[in-house]
Amino acid sequence: MRWRVWLDRLIVLVILLAAWQAGSLWLGNYWLSSPWAVATRFVASLLNGEMLFHASYTINEALIGCVIGGVPAVLLPFLLRRQPIVVAILDPFMVGGYGAPKLAFAPLFILWFGIGIESKIALVAAVVFFIVYFSTLSGVRALEPKLVQMAQVVGANERQVGRHIVFPGAVPAIFAGFRIAVPYAIGGAVIAELISSNRGLGYLVQTGAMNFDTTQVFVAIVAATIIVHAFIAVVDLGERFLLRWRPRGASLIVDHGT
Amino acid sequence: MAAPMLDIKELGKRFPARTGREPPPWIIQGMSFSVAAGELLTIVGPSGAGKSTLLNIIAQIDNASAGEIVFDGERIAGSDVKALHPGLNRRIGYVTQDDNLLPWRTTIDNVLFPCEVQGTLDDAARARAQELIGAVGLTGFERYYPHELSGGMRKRAALIRTLVYDPPMILMDEPFAAVDAQTRTQLQQDLLRLWSLKRKTILFVTHDITEAIALGDRSLVLTQRPARIAAEHPIPIPRPRNVKDIFAMPNFATIYERIRADVQ
Amino acid sequence: MSSADITAGLTESRTIPRQWLVNGGRFALAIALLLAWEWGARAFGPLFFAPPLATAQRIVEMAANGKLFTDIIATMRVSVVGFVIGCICGAGLPFILRPLPRVTAAVEPFIMASQGIPKYALTPWLILWFGIGDAPKVIVVTLFTFYITFITVFAGVRGVDQRLINMARIIGASERAIARKVIWVALLPFFFTGLKVALPRAVSAAIVGEFLVATEGVGFSIERARQLSDTTGVFAGIVVAVALVLIINAVVNALERHTLKWRPTDRDMQL
Repeated sequence: MRWRVWLDRLIVLVILLAAWQAGSLWLGNYWLSSPWAVATRFVASLLNGEMLFHASYTINEALIGCVIGGVPAVLLPFLLRRQPIVVAILDPFMVGGYGAPKLAFAPLFILWFGIGIESKIALVAAVVFFIVYFSTLSGVRALEPKLVQMAQVVGANERQVGRHIVFPGAVPAIFAGFRIAVPYAIGGAVIAELISSNRGLGYLVQTGAMNFDTTQVFVAIVAATIIVHAFIAVVDLGERFLLRWRPRGASLIVDHGT
Repeated sequence: MAAPMLDIKELGKRFPARTGREPPPWIIQGMSFSVAAGELLTIVGPSGAGKSTLLNIIAQIDNASAGEIVFDGERIAGSDVKALHPGLNRRIGYVTQDDNLLPWRTTIDNVLFPCEVQGTLDDAARARAQELIGAVGLTGFERYYPHELSGGMRKRAALIRTLVYDPPMILMDEPFAAVDAQTRTQLQQDLLRLWSLKRKTILFVTHDITEAIALGDRSLVLTQRPARIAAEHPIPIPRPRNVKDIFAMPNFATIYERIRADVQ
Repeated sequence: MSSADITAGLTESRTIPRQWLVNGGRFALAIALLLAWEWGARAFGPLFFAPPLATAQRIVEMAANGKLFTDIIATMRVSVVGFVIGCICGAGLPFILRPLPRVTAAVEPFIMASQGIPKYALTPWLILWFGIGDAPKVIVVTLFTFYITFITVFAGVRGVDQRLINMARIIGASERAIARKVIWVALLPFFFTGLKVALPRAVSAAIVGEFLVATEGVGFSIERARQLSDTTGVFAGIVVAVALVLIINAVVNALERHTLKWRPTDRDMQL
């Protein structure tokens, strides 16, 4: 029965591609490009290094932004674990930061840091920080007090409790946070590039559109989509490896928020 | 007569009052008993009578509201004592009702956890752990994660985790309650065997009268809330005991009846 | 703080002094941030940092000459239209798919894969098609809303207890009645959660879309100010944008609390 589902999916894929091709034949390459054109251009830009040049720029923004935003977001809940008053004081600011549209700050970051990579990194970091902070916070809060007690009875001090009990317990939540943040990170990188950049996948989209080169636009979008899914796959792999100890069935609904 | 290992005098406990409400009820009040060194003392009582609270106070996870506790000549708890030292610097081990194994560690890493934390993780410790693993029949499961072990196996792992660092006194809070009858009997037998090798002082809490008689040198019965000692029953059944056939032992029926009457 | 304090803290009610400490801390932090903002303006110059006072003045100006309101209305127009269309599609599709399990299994991976497309990146292409009017932004907002509502409603539809549906069939209810009376009611909490998340996102998406194509709106004002190096305008616009989204967020949350108060059935459906 399983192969039947895959056959169905193959049929859907073929239908979609055929409809696309038909549409491009009817309306012309200008409006829709075509599957063939996109595929050949994609391969060509891979071979001549153009794709690598731009995609690596976007990937770098996303990665560095994830690190700059993610590391403090992970550390803060641990450092503040014993200071619930500080967490409570920070809470409305964090909630406000989480709810506020970080991407609205894109023009400001471009004003501050120029059209280079720094403004994009700043934007990605801002987006990632709040998502990962709340995820990690809930993971740290959810720790089982009985496990902490057990560790204390066998003689663990505060630092050891943090390292051996709190941190491993929070790792699933940290991964969940990054998995949610990844699409937002890349989306943020792309939008910053769309507004103003001289390099990157968003730049390819923008220049493609300005030159009425729909094929280039689609190639860049396809590349960005692949990167999003690749990042998520990496996070999932990392999670599966580090969380070998988890019983099966602990899966989460994923939110791809690009 | 040698001084008792643990001496509980007029112990009282109630949880702190919530502002604006009446003073909360006493959970434990006027409890007094002592435990001799090397003794296996069982405590029987209905659920919710404060058994876990008692052990928590002895293990230094919770404060006493009244009375005092003297351990090995040292006053470790009292209404004026605010600072807590969980585990009393590793001299009091505590096997809780939930196995509380760390789900992200393998069995061997879980068993060695106290040594790791105490900085005594060396070859001797590893050898001891391996020996204990063999003693409870967990050989071959060292690299398994807790979710891959059965309930009984996890209990055994939790038990030897406490034994591996050799605390002089061990508290046990209904550790075998959550497993099936067969496994429980086996675990009880394992416990007696391990205990006979080292003669630690064990304070074993249970709601199962049979278990209390099978394991204990002496058995104390708790009252309902506020808990105190209702009665004390020496258990004259000779050791080594065979847990499976405990019912056949000559004095079993009489003691059982007496304890059951007291629990009522 | 000893371990006993942790357990005691769980049972003890936190008395008033703590709440004062927390509120005082928040107030102090807010003041500190404002002071940092003012210091930033002095240290980095008016090109990079508009001082708080100048920002506030500009916002008042914008309110006085009406630009603030036309901007907000323009942005909300785009958000609401996109939001409504996105909700209808996102909530409707699961129902269409429900009686077609084979189609659902075949189509699901494509929907999930398409979710990875950075939606803002579609804007230049949409401009090619629809020009520089509202349409590209509305479509992007629709897409954002669609995915959010689709995922929540889809999960809700799938999660409906099969026994309820069977029971309804036995009583003789038609498939449409089942869809309306059993499934729809059961997934209302999911649906409202989706809406609650989607509406502020829709407004966000409209604002950001305006960075790329617009003639007016909150986002347009921010980007235009940046292009003119009007830093005060950028700051003022961002304050307005953030306030707008946060206020909508708060309103939606308050609405949810209010509507759930007098619906006792929702308490039982703790899904």
